[in-house]
Amino acid sequence: MEPIISFQNFGFKYKTQSSPTLVDINLDIYPGQKVLILGASGSGKSTLCNCINGLIPFSFEGEISGTLTVCGRETKKASIFELSQSVGTVLQDSDAQFVGLSVGEDIAFAMENICMPRSEMVPLVEKNASIVGMKDFIDHVPFELSGGQKQKVAIAGVFANDVKILIFDEPLAALDPQMGMTAVSLIDDLAKDKDRTILIIEHRLEDVLYRPVDRIILMGGGRIVADMTPDELLKSTLLKEHGIREPLYITAMKYAGCSLEGNKNLCSLEDLAFTPENETKLKTFFTSQYTPLKESEAEPVIEFDHVSFSYDHQKNVLTDINFQIRKGERIAIIGKNGAGKSTAAKLLCGLIRPSQGQIRLKGGDIRDLSIKEIGEIVSYVMQNPNQMLVKDIIKDEVGLALKIRGRSEEAITAMTEKVLKACNLYKMRNWPVDSISYGQKKRVTVASMMALEPEVLVLDEPTAGQDFRSYTDIMDFVNTLNREFGITILFITHDMHLAIENTERAIVFSDGELIAADRVCSVLANEKIIERASLKQTSLYRLAVKLGLDPESVIEHFISYERSAARE
Amino acid sequence: MNNRFVINYTPGPTYLHQLSGFTKVFLFIIMTVAIIATYDVRILIPLGLINLAEIISMKPNWKPIIFMFLFTFFTVTVIGNIMLFVVSPDAGLNNCGTETIIWASASGRFYISKEWLWYVFAVFIKRTVSFFSVMAFALATTPSEFASGLNKCGLPYKVCTIISLAYRTIPDIANDFVDIRNSMMMRGVELGKKASLGKRLKNNVTLLVPLIMSSFGKVTNIANAMDLRGYGKNKKRTWYAEKEPTRADQLVRGLTIALGVLTIGYLIWSKVIDPWPAKIWCPFSDPSLIRQVSLEESFFLFRWLKQLFNH
Repeated sequence: MEPIISFQNFGFKYKTQSSPTLVDINLDIYPGQKVLILGASGSGKSTLCNCINGLIPFSFEGEISGTLTVCGRETKKASIFELSQSVGTVLQDSDAQFVGLSVGEDIAFAMENICMPRSEMVPLVEKNASIVGMKDFIDHVPFELSGGQKQKVAIAGVFANDVKILIFDEPLAALDPQMGMTAVSLIDDLAKDKDRTILIIEHRLEDVLYRPVDRIILMGGGRIVADMTPDELLKSTLLKEHGIREPLYITAMKYAGCSLEGNKNLCSLEDLAFTPENETKLKTFFTSQYTPLKESEAEPVIEFDHVSFSYDHQKNVLTDINFQIRKGERIAIIGKNGAGKSTAAKLLCGLIRPSQGQIRLKGGDIRDLSIKEIGEIVSYVMQNPNQMLVKDIIKDEVGLALKIRGRSEEAITAMTEKVLKACNLYKMRNWPVDSISYGQKKRVTVASMMALEPEVLVLDEPTAGQDFRSYTDIMDFVNTLNREFGITILFITHDMHLAIENTERAIVFSDGELIAADRVCSVLANEKIIERASLKQTSLYRLAVKLGLDPESVIEHFISYERSAARE
Repeated sequence: MNNRFVINYTPGPTYLHQLSGFTKVFLFIIMTVAIIATYDVRILIPLGLINLAEIISMKPNWKPIIFMFLFTFFTVTVIGNIMLFVVSPDAGLNNCGTETIIWASASGRFYISKEWLWYVFAVFIKRTVSFFSVMAFALATTPSEFASGLNKCGLPYKVCTIISLAYRTIPDIANDFVDIRNSMMMRGVELGKKASLGKRLKNNVTLLVPLIMSSFGKVTNIANAMDLRGYGKNKKRTWYAEKEPTRADQLVRGLTIALGVLTIGYLIWSKVIDPWPAKIWCPFSDPSLIRQVSLEESFFLFRWLKQLFNH
């Protein structure tokens, strides 16, 4: 069979960069394959796909060496418009790519551009919308849709030309866990049509493997590092070397001392057949003695006492919320988008005030405090660091809050230096803010909050837009702040990995109500809560069920083992 | 999102809402020309009533409309006319050609004439009718219909896409702004009433840096998304939002053409066949007594400069 995509000694260097981003790429992809292109940030995986869809060299200029043929055409000679007839790309930012003012219009966008008469357009839009399950939303405007719905619209939007190749650029980046699962299933359904070739670019391996893929191409440093089946890749040591997180159940198997050889269907926990030896090892490991996690007994810093909130005095956004957070705790605030977790955070920061009930900060009612005064105790780090950075130089950014408060020049310098050192940014203190990476910007925003010596740090989706390596960096850094300065940390997140690895307790919201405030392992082991909050079962839970063990104790075991390993 | 302000993102249910984008844009353009070119109360009042009827038929959210009307009434009409009275009590004479004084101050510097009152009334009617016309159009049209209608009227489609993209991003930018503002307030930047006006203004300007930075990031993404779906390949494009014309559309387009013809007819009659000697028609003026006012006389600035020279 002829390959549908064929790279021959291909290389690419961006005009603005001194060294090539892609080197020595030789790769054939055949019609009907479903391929995962895996790699950390900067590995070249997005560049590779932009070469296929024609954005390179159309929008991003640079030097191409070697050849790339897509559907029999050499891309150097084809225009992006010709390529768009056979390659459909769903971009990572599902909001930015929604250019229409309604669902129907956005799906029709490509048809409009080829001057299709409206009479043909309308039935086709309806057909494409129903393929992705958005038929009832055709008249809806983008502002009413969730991230997952926008992504479905984007998928329907690239169908217009009956494309042969579908590229998904980080489809899971902006979705909560359950929507992510829906997206992976939808992509899998699309792959069932054997005329379609599907490329998924991701670094969240476990989430993509929720449905099978034929091949995984692992990228690193602009080269193809591996081209193998998922099972082969999981058995290898390549994941760790290239900054990709391995599935949790694989980590658990390693902790239990299992050998990965000889297990069938390693890539899918449901179909996985353990060797008898491994099964015994796992059962022994998860039933052995362990040190249970200690619960904090420090005095409470934050108390929500029967708090309700509504914007219009009619419908409550939050209803009767009660919880306590003790000093030095690390807490995960979880729940799907719109469940009320950001409203709770806004209440805590004083941006909005409770309609009923009382919020106490270190024992005092926050009603008596201004936003500025609350800001000296509670620091809120927004999801997108670009929304927070206002100064040109890192050092000035970090010192800004102190300057506003009229501290002396010496005091500002002393504090800024201390914080920059703690945040491992001291070497960069005189760098322009524009010149650093997204992950580093995130650290700068945390540092600029630390200058006020807050007691509570609220991090909104700290892992969004980060690969595993920079995720680990940020988490190590935040955990250091917690350990050494006793700062209470609140993570607003829907990343269950984050909750397992970095928090002691979880507070779960669903439809404006608090449905759980308990130990992480108890929350994650509670099927009802997971379902109500639209979360995803971690693979540890499913592993426990598979082995016939109690999920709560398996998860607790895992966490306890991991943390004691981390301490040593 | 609908009716939060006057922008409607989805078409409403009434007859006018259901017309095609081109019909609405065409009607709006001809209506605007008719209002500006005629400037005759006898034409303006019926046009105003038609537009008012259009607005009523769409059952809008009246709150923002009444607010905007009162706001412009107080700033432009009330304050504007007090100023006009102070600097140019002879505006009646300049525009209507005659002057019938009904009150004068002791010095004679300030006075009110019947024609001055008529002139103020005519300007008010013109502004009100324009306001109604803009409102009726804004209420009836979704941004995409506006864009597709303009394209059908001959505007290049790339310009039209910019218009619809602007409407697409306004709410997002507004949300971004609120987020940025919140984060700054938490860091202690005073944006509330506590700070002085100058300081607040300065602090709000600093918010623009992250706002522009985060918006710029999106521009590349939007452009790529559009390129990948074949935008800009052809000289023309079709529009999903541009509905096929119905009988109602044909009727309204016919009426619009009639309005255009009527306007041209009025202009020929009032400027060529039976020209009215003053700038605006006025019921109190006897055409035979109208005095032609020279251009330099009609602007108070000119007169002041002349007086200065004469001294």
